[in-house]
Amino acid sequence: MRLHAVEHGHRLPQRLKLMLIRLVSRRRVPDVVKTLFYRPEFFGGPMCDWTQAVMRGPSPWSVGERELFAAFTSRLNQCLF
Amino acid sequence: MDGRTGRYAAFTKRLLDSVLATSGHTSRELRRAVLARARPSSPLSGTESGTGGEDIAPDLAAYVDKVALHAYKVTDEDLAALKRAGNSDDVLFEATVSAALGAALGRLERGLSALRGEASPPDPLSKVGPHPLTPSPSGRGGTQE
Repeated sequence: MRLHAVEHGHRLPQRLKLMLIRLVSRRRVPDVVKTLFYRPEFFGGPMCDWTQAVMRGPSPWSVGERELFAAFTSRLNQCLF
Repeated sequence: MDGRTGRYAAFTKRLLDSVLATSGHTSRELRRAVLARARPSSPLSGTESGTGGEDIAPDLAAYVDKVALHAYKVTDEDLAALKRAGNSDDVLFEATVSAALGAALGRLERGLSALRGEASPPDPLSKVGPHPLTPSPSGRGGTQE
């Protein structure tokens, strides 16, 4: 993570959640999660709500198809999904 | 008028409101200018790009273009240089989010307009260089009809 604040600067509620994720998954928390948890009122909160609606909400596309779209788009963007 | 992206308009509007209208470490005008710069004009957003907001410093503008067009090319040194120039982590976080959101909305709008069969609008950032995903107009050898 290139921004120290986004790596280590989370407020207490988000820091506790990150600790829990680390404990349960027993691996490093992905950077995208740290980004979404950093100042969530600015970006992560509304972004997660949007993502949830698009990826899991009512849709003519199945969840699997939508995940495939996302993976394919990330691939085209040369971004690890 | 920012939220016309199909059935998820309310979610789009909420995200835009929080990124552009909340108080932060950068001015709202700067975030608007960054988002507009990263968002290619489209029939949906064409009237919004002229926000008349504040200028973006050249080094930050170059970074915004990089995030918008090929984020995978951003390097540690890009961020280190911006920090040395006096930008805090929070300033860079807000600029990055604004740039990424602008680029994402631009692509979403262009995709939706393509689905509606509308002509593709010119890309104001094309002067920076072709987007890696933009097909070459001449096509690739042997694949043309």
